[in-house]
Amino acid sequence: MAAQRTRQPTRRWRQVVRTPLGAGASLLMALVLLLALVAPMLWTDQADAVDTGNILAGPSAEHWAGTDNLGRDILFRSLVAARLSVGLALTATAIAIVLGLLLGTAPMLLGRRLGRLVTASVDIAVAFPGLLLALFFAVIFGVGARGAVLAIGIAGAPSFARLVHTLVAGVAARDYVAAARAAGVGRVRVLLRHVLPNISEPLIVNATIGAGGALLSFAGLSFLGLGVQAPQYDWGRLLFDGIGALYVNPAAALAPGLTVLLAGLAFNLFGESVAKGLGVATLGHLPERRSAGPATSGPPTIRAEEPVVAGDDEAPVLDVRDLWVSFPGADGPVQPVRGVSFAVRRGEAVGVVGESGSGKSLTALAVSRLIEEPGRVEAARLQLLGADLRTGSERAQRQLLGTSLAMVFQDPMTSFNPTRRMGGQLAEVARQHQGMTRRDAFGRAVDRLAAVRIPEARRRAGQYPHEFSGGMRQRAMIGMGLMGSPALIIADEPTTALDVTVQQQVLDLLQAIREADDVALVLISHDVTVVGEVCDRVLVMYAGRIVEDLAAADLATGAAHPYTRALVAAVPDMETDLEQPLAVVPGRPVAPGEVPAGCAYAARCPLADDRCRAEDPQLASFETPDHRVACWHAGEPIPVDGPREPAPVDPVELVEVDAP
Amino acid sequence: MSTPRPTSQSARPTGRPTAELRFEDVTVRYGSARRGHTAVDRVSLTVPPGQVVGLVGESGSGKSTLARAAVGLAPLTGGRVLLGGAPVPTRGRRRPLQMVFQDPYSSLDPRMTIGDSIAEAIPPGPSREERRAEVARLLELVHLDPDRAAVRPGLLSGGQRQRVALARALAGDPQVVIADEITSALDVSIQGAVLNLVRELQRELGLSMLFISHNLAVVRYVASHVAVMRDGVIVEEGPAARVLADPHHDYTRALLAAVPGTRTPRRTP
Ligand SMILES: Nc1ncnc2c1ncn2[C@@H]1O[C@H](COP(=O)(O)OP(=O)(O)OP(=O)(O)O)[C@@H](O)[C@H]1O
Ligand code: SF4
Ligand SMILES: [Mg+2]
Repeated sequence: MAAQRTRQPTRRWRQVVRTPLGAGASLLMALVLLLALVAPMLWTDQADAVDTGNILAGPSAEHWAGTDNLGRDILFRSLVAARLSVGLALTATAIAIVLGLLLGTAPMLLGRRLGRLVTASVDIAVAFPGLLLALFFAVIFGVGARGAVLAIGIAGAPSFARLVHTLVAGVAARDYVAAARAAGVGRVRVLLRHVLPNISEPLIVNATIGAGGALLSFAGLSFLGLGVQAPQYDWGRLLFDGIGALYVNPAAALAPGLTVLLAGLAFNLFGESVAKGLGVATLGHLPERRSAGPATSGPPTIRAEEPVVAGDDEAPVLDVRDLWVSFPGADGPVQPVRGVSFAVRRGEAVGVVGESGSGKSLTALAVSRLIEEPGRVEAARLQLLGADLRTGSERAQRQLLGTSLAMVFQDPMTSFNPTRRMGGQLAEVARQHQGMTRRDAFGRAVDRLAAVRIPEARRRAGQYPHEFSGGMRQRAMIGMGLMGSPALIIADEPTTALDVTVQQQVLDLLQAIREADDVALVLISHDVTVVGEVCDRVLVMYAGRIVEDLAAADLATGAAHPYTRALVAAVPDMETDLEQPLAVVPGRPVAPGEVPAGCAYAARCPLADDRCRAEDPQLASFETPDHRVACWHAGEPIPVDGPREPAPVDPVELVEVDAP
Repeated sequence: MSTPRPTSQSARPTGRPTAELRFEDVTVRYGSARRGHTAVDRVSLTVPPGQVVGLVGESGSGKSTLARAAVGLAPLTGGRVLLGGAPVPTRGRRRPLQMVFQDPYSSLDPRMTIGDSIAEAIPPGPSREERRAEVARLLELVHLDPDRAAVRPGLLSGGQRQRVALARALAGDPQVVIADEITSALDVSIQGAVLNLVRELQRELGLSMLFISHNLAVVRYVASHVAVMRDGVIVEEGPAARVLADPHHDYTRALLAAVPGTRTPRRTP
């Protein structure tokens, strides 16, 4: 699920002005609008003054850009023309937007059949070049300012309609629109209250850029003599007149040309920088993808190294000591992973559980070097099969990770390229990392698909991702990991998107692979029961730390940390007492930016005392060397308060909360 | 056309009588007649008044489609959905059948305050003041601080949002509520609190509920009846205790066998 942050609108707009480009564009934009507003008030007289003694003169101290064939000052005329030019462009844009909104929202309001007709017509209209349409309409509506406004407005409508349609469809698919409709809110009201406000930002941005385009189109039409007619004048008209006198006075064409250029630039730059600041896609561009370069930092400061795998002579498959992941935040760096140490032995299955935001996925991503800029990874030790993942060339690392480590993600749909056949996508891994030929690689892909129990593997290899069901895609993802001969599979919520029966198949498959090839498994899940069933050992994470490391078999009865015990109790199973309310973990998880002093769990812990609030407990052995707990009161009985009161009113704290 | 509705605190729990929700031979097809796909195939299912029916089944089995058809979000190809013997109104402002959605992150308009989102679902009639009081009462009902009605959903956790979604569904003064996977997007630590709330609200208000989930343990906890759906067809239906203890259909048995935690956990070798 995408983390959806709704920043304060004002703060977001301020963001736009903060960049140098944004500030410059905003300033230019303001100047152009100001000019359009005041120029006719200030300089109309100068612009209209006929100076018969100075006809078609070149630049002089009196007339900086020279004069036209009636001896009128070109510079003043160019300035005064700003109002008409900008005004006409804005009017045309307004027409385009209104028509675009009507056409673009029609499919939602009219119902399926009529809507499809509208969409198809719009699609056809979009295919024509805008200027061509404008010329066509200009001929229909006749020469003159009004005709040109209508022509450019109507010509611009189809692309706006397409944009509106796409945006509306995106918002209309969201559940809050369905919820409003299910509550009996009418279509028009849904459109006005839910849909339009949520598409207003990209619309405004594209309208601004559209206005820039309209400005240029106008100049073009007037220049062709189809737009504004004398005695009115806009920039295009001035340009038209100026070109005629080009050999006598080049400045006569230069001045209006320059103003058109500047004004067009102002609209476009302003639109683009607003788009960038707000993170909105414009018609021409899709949002840039962030570069996916891993960012492992240099040698970290060595912190106290404690032995993790006690009494084990064989080198672990994965050895992580004191792993930290940090991101720059508004008030200094935040650390979602704070000193995680664990090791995974050959063939072992280790589960990682914890609430959303506890750092499970980031730990996995750090190990596979998939943390993106500006994230930073530091560790005292980070070894896969004895090789240091912190140093060494990027290439060597990719090679090692590509062949020895398999990652399986929650949503296999987004992990595959939807436009390529499955077999080819799997084969590519082997060609890249093992240098196989195309044919061998494809053969192995089919073999691996069969290995993950995809029926008719050869036929299926020729299909596209969307032709696979969710469970099959997930198995194919695992099959992709098996193209090499991995020693470790890291599966991050591999079954959350699947239902129980398919989940069981995927878990069984992972189990079978482990047993067949002695592959180690790290299984990340928020479901304690799943982890308890599949894994040998469970790591419980809270606020970026491992707070307990215990044998899976001990989860139900042997957990010592209060948080682990609360997590286990909160999940209903097939034996849960139906008469009692479910146990709940009170309060909220700690956000990475606000980790308190002392034990991070103290605010929610029934055993918390003053020591807990002051001193942070370290992960230490508890009773047996394999059982590690970070708690001052590990294993102590949790006081049961009398009959449960109805749940208290939950104060809504005013902090941003991320989606899990 | 607007009927007066009870807004006083005491009138609510005994408010209007709960009703039976009945699906009769409901069929939903997507796509064209030739290349279409039957998502729900002649399903008949009854939610008795004041009871909770749990609907389980794998994804794509048509559970959500059935729910969406009941509230008019998916077109019925055949059959009827009856509420208290009359067709469910899918037009107009009074909607005695309300739905809560799976994803609390996309089911609330990010630009509207939670108070406005809830108020929007209150049928027309009451004055602005009465609406405000009703929003406060509903927030209290789902254990949220009524003073926070002006907060936008961006500031709420998943569990808090799901409670707002429940409050919004209750704002329509429903006789029946359909809950579609309302806990599956939530953390286990929050899931328990939402399930407790569902049970509490259901008992206090005497609501009839269709509770859709793929998690059998969750369904067992809230539902008195269970219906099992597969490929658009209900394959088994009955009292929860009976279906879960003594399943008759093979598919139900397979579902039960797949519940995590029912198999013996592995021991470290
Ligand atoms: N708008 C649609 N157009 C075409 N097919 C659809 C549409 N919505 C759903 N379907 C199909 O209908 C079938 C049933 O879908 P539905 O979402 O009702 O299943 P579900 O049991 O609720 O699944 P899940 O548990 O994943 O939510 C699926 O095969 C799905 O692909
Ligand atoms: S250290 Fe204290 S506050 Fe932290 S979990 Fe243990 S008992 Fe609770
Ligand atoms: Mg569903």
